[in-house]
Amino acid sequence: MEREALLLWLAVGVYVAAGSLAIVGVVMGKRPERTVLGLLVLGLALHGLSIGLRWERLGHGPYLTMFEILSSNIWSLLFIFSLAYWRFRPIRPIAAVVVPLVFIMMGWMLLLNRGPGHLPATYNTIWLAIHILFGKVFLGTVLVAVGMAGVILLRRAGVGVQKLSRLPDDRRLDDLAYRFMALGFIFETLMLIAGAIWAQNAWGRYWSWDPLETWSFITWVVLAFALHLRATLKPAPRRGAVLILTVFVLAFLTFFGVPFISKVPHQGAI
Amino acid sequence: MTIDTPLRKLASPRLTLVLFVLFGAGVLGAHFSKLSPTWTLAVPLLLFALNLLAAIVVNPVFRRRIPLLVFHLALLALIVLVAVSRLTYLRGHVELTDGETFRGRISGVESGPLHPWHLDREVFTQEGFTINYDPGIQRDRTRSRVEWLDSRGRRHVGVIGDQHPLVLGGYRFYTTYNKGFAPTFTWYPVSGGPPRRGSIHLPSYPENEYRQALQWTLPGTHVALWTELQIDERILNPKRPSQFRVPTHYRLIVRLKGARYVLQPGDHIDLPGGRLVYDGLRTWMGYQVFYDWTTPWLLAACLVAMLSLAWHYGGRFAARPWLADGDDSEDIRPKSDETGIKAPSSHPRKFPSRLIFSICTRLGFR
Ligand code: HEM
Repeated sequence: MEREALLLWLAVGVYVAAGSLAIVGVVMGKRPERTVLGLLVLGLALHGLSIGLRWERLGHGPYLTMFEILSSNIWSLLFIFSLAYWRFRPIRPIAAVVVPLVFIMMGWMLLLNRGPGHLPATYNTIWLAIHILFGKVFLGTVLVAVGMAGVILLRRAGVGVQKLSRLPDDRRLDDLAYRFMALGFIFETLMLIAGAIWAQNAWGRYWSWDPLETWSFITWVVLAFALHLRATLKPAPRRGAVLILTVFVLAFLTFFGVPFISKVPHQGAI
Repeated sequence: MTIDTPLRKLASPRLTLVLFVLFGAGVLGAHFSKLSPTWTLAVPLLLFALNLLAAIVVNPVFRRRIPLLVFHLALLALIVLVAVSRLTYLRGHVELTDGETFRGRISGVESGPLHPWHLDREVFTQEGFTINYDPGIQRDRTRSRVEWLDSRGRRHVGVIGDQHPLVLGGYRFYTTYNKGFAPTFTWYPVSGGPPRRGSIHLPSYPENEYRQALQWTLPGTHVALWTELQIDERILNPKRPSQFRVPTHYRLIVRLKGARYVLQPGDHIDLPGGRLVYDGLRTWMGYQVFYDWTTPWLLAACLVAMLSLAWHYGGRFAARPWLADGDDSEDIRPKSDETGIKAPSSHPRKFPSRLIFSICTRLGFR
């Protein structure tokens, strides 16, 4: 138990160091990128170990309590972001946009009760794992797009224009961001399909418009709308960026907000 | 003005955008106003289908990009399947006492107008169940034993619960959290008719742990009985793992016109119309019943849609580097001077031959 907590705190410390260094790098016009990447990998390893120990102790994956959901999402978001950071050198400064968002999630996670949850019998299926995996990839790809959208909007607002000039121009950022959104669309759709299969097996209905289903569907519709709008009206990168942010906010609220208002019928409390 | 102008208007990608907004509004409308989603979504979906059909005829992008065409055809198939599903589905629930045979009677029925009713052909018997509870009265695994005859009259015994429904003739029976205790009685009418055996389903347990009472009427009479189960032991332990079971220490109290009876199995009450014998306490299980023959087809359409979309994007992304100059999106506006002659594509199709190579090289492994 203590080891889990210690590893988690260490991981958060390393993440904060990586993120702060990335932001300072952008502000100072320096490129400590290898160090940032190294720290991110170290943070992921420590955090992964902490999640693994908890998994081993409780006998189920990190998807029951809000603490577990946030913790595993911080891990997966940073994992996908690190991949993008590693592979797409020219866009590395988007860390200055992405990292603060993840910092907020970390702060929230540290405030939460770390006690165990109860695993309902209906969670005992491979479809849940598939559903969660697709959801995490979806959110991760959208987060990378948000980094680029954030840069486009910051430039438009005249914030840090010079500091961000190292990044590709708005059109190219927009192009790359929408590739990530397209990937996100595929993974979100797969998430919905896997979720429907799970729901059918577990509760005898593949779709019932409960708040979680409704909001994830709204996110899906807005994402499909954004892809169409881009292909039809060819909006300026600024508009495309606003749409990316809209999708992210909706997805974020669906993942982390709806569980608060939804009395999910499948919690298995009775 | 050419003959196909109305078709072109119907095919407009701008209309698609409007329809997306209408569709989103339909979903939100149903969510917040409790209108039936079937209706708030039917109209935008129908318009989507028309818009898409027209676009497939008119818009050359669907001839240039076969995967995109396949994707949208799969969407069209989904719309048709959802409509068929709404016309033929059935949903309902049924509560069965241990030993009781299901013969097609369900309640809370919701069904499409074209549902092919054959529920009465599906017969099975409830043989009791166990439910494990974790500390904190958290429900764990449900195992319900059922027995049924197949179409050739062969007897089958099975255990269902949680992820495993009983599937008979396309109807799926799922166990639910809704279950409880069922005092069972036999009624011997003085008129000499055959005795009638039946049970009453007390409110779901443990949800209504402190409200284990029910008012009911004796069959064929106007005699109203109020029946209460007082459990004198702890069935589900909040501190330890436990199991849902019939209590051994309990009192069954029946009130009738000011008289109060405490019954043990075998006890009876003599009433003006006959004799009521208390046979004992059993359990009842609430099942959710679901029928929708389209589900495997819906899944197939979704998978085709996903594969073709991945194919579409795979081809497009492989054709140009991930951080290329300029814009990557394809123009889906039909050109006003469109002749129908296949336009040379600016993004030659390179799938699947180069896809694997491209994934390795373009996905950043540069
Ligand atoms: C639920 C409905 C729909 C969904 C989810 C959907 C989704 C998509 C997606 C993901 C793309 C690829 C966009 C891209 O490459 O960036 C696309 C492209 C396209 N869609 Fe749809 N679509 C839907 C309905 C329609 C309808 C009703 C039409 C009829 C006008 C249509 C016409 C097109 C066209 C012409 C393209 C080509 C754009 C391109 O390759 O970039 N779609 N659609």
